[in-house]
Amino acid sequence: MVSMKRMAAVAAVSMIGLSACSGTDSGSPAVPGEAKGGDLLAKAPVAAAADILPGSTMEKIKQRGELIVGGSLDAPLLSQQNPTTGEVEGFDADMGKALAKYILGEPKVKIVNSASETREALLSNGTVDVVFQTYTITPERAKQVAFAGPYYSSGLSLAVRKGTTGITKPEDLNGKTVIAGANTPAIPAIKKVAPQAKIVTFGGDPECIQALKQERGDVYVQDETLLVANAKKDPSVQVVGSPFTTDPYGIGLKHGDEQFKKFVNDWLKKIQADGLWQQTWKNSLGTVVQGEAPAPPQIGSVPGS
Amino acid sequence: MSAILDHLPEFWQGLTVTLQLTAASFLGAAVVGLVITAMRVSPVGVLRGIGTAYVETFQNLPLLVLLVLAVFGLPEVGIKADLLVTAIVVIALYEAAYIAEALRSGVNAVSTGQGEAARALGLTFGQSLRHVILPQALRTVVQPLGNIFIALTMNTSLAAAVGVVDLTAAANRVNLMEAQPIPIFVGAGLAYALIAACAGFVTGRLERRLVVVR
Repeated sequence: MVSMKRMAAVAAVSMIGLSACSGTDSGSPAVPGEAKGGDLLAKAPVAAAADILPGSTMEKIKQRGELIVGGSLDAPLLSQQNPTTGEVEGFDADMGKALAKYILGEPKVKIVNSASETREALLSNGTVDVVFQTYTITPERAKQVAFAGPYYSSGLSLAVRKGTTGITKPEDLNGKTVIAGANTPAIPAIKKVAPQAKIVTFGGDPECIQALKQERGDVYVQDETLLVANAKKDPSVQVVGSPFTTDPYGIGLKHGDEQFKKFVNDWLKKIQADGLWQQTWKNSLGTVVQGEAPAPPQIGSVPGS
Repeated sequence: MSAILDHLPEFWQGLTVTLQLTAASFLGAAVVGLVITAMRVSPVGVLRGIGTAYVETFQNLPLLVLLVLAVFGLPEVGIKADLLVTAIVVIALYEAAYIAEALRSGVNAVSTGQGEAARALGLTFGQSLRHVILPQALRTVVQPLGNIFIALTMNTSLAAAVGVVDLTAAANRVNLMEAQPIPIFVGAGLAYALIAACAGFVTGRLERRLVVVR
């Protein structure tokens, strides 16, 4: 009996604690910057009921009440989990939430941390509805999955330790040890521009930066936005030259689902036209890249999209 | 299927690295494991303590943590070695704990009378271990050692996470270009299974020939 009473007391206390927490949530946000994502999503469009065709993927998602997104939790500015709020933040993450709102009327997403080696399988077996994960559109991949977009265009660039000389352009990589993220488009790109480069790969971006600082390689090849973000945080690393590739990012969809692809492309055109795309960029990538938001890429302009 | 055939050189190179990792780290683990076993059954209390501490430490840490620590942590204190060498040393030290436990169970399986007889003959601790105890202990643990070898083979794939281009890393790289995970990873999986099957076959044969009937 005593233990029952004690349990009841514990439960009561924890309920009070919970309600106290939720009380602060309803007021003004305690975390600075939190409002930006909210504002953005408040302005995000919702699809007309007629666009959710019966029997379509959109309808299935709507019935389920949540959009399942394949994404990352460790890509700064693109899709990174905020350790204090638990929210996933960044350009890719916000795009996923905006698409969820377009379908469901509310930005309800479940992010499945999909590694780049499993994206195709997760899409084809229906584990995830869409992939927002710096997913570069290539003709080989387009045989396995469908790509809406491109929704963003990026490029690979070089980062070195501050004070390194003799590396300014991709051709300088020949004969050097080059660090790249495992499973990133950097690996084939390096092989193409500098066949004599020795490539070492590490799991994620933080490991690669650490390896560069510990002189396991002379240069780190990665998406320019990631490199700029890193260089901003860590002054011992600097970005050299300008991007030497064009990586059009697409929204990965199940292969052959033309209906859903058209639906997502229509949404992309809509948010590009009403400025939501540009605002999403400014809130994420735009916080480290100088200048105005770039012109969004033309939908369907890339082979494979 | 063409996804694999077009990239056979990459797969072959990855497989070579995996075999190197497996062979070198198993050899290292066997040597260290033997030493640890000798310490654990020795009459000197301090040595027994060190041996126990070693086994408990390495069996209770995930291999990936050790690898990441060795690759990214040691350079911070000025120790930096080649990635493949680092991976071999770490895997060898880690698996040595498991080999030591297998060997110790073999030593325990040798009847006490054997040790007493060796002592009665005037053999030193080292001599009785070398000539009487260990040969019998080893014959008892052929199968467990084979299992450790197979586990070690699978564990080498963790080296891919710290920059070693083994079979796993090679498969990842090929998949990045071809985007055909199913055939590529099934192919890589079959290669691992083949290594494990060979190890199983060899230990099975050895076991039948060496087993001590008690």
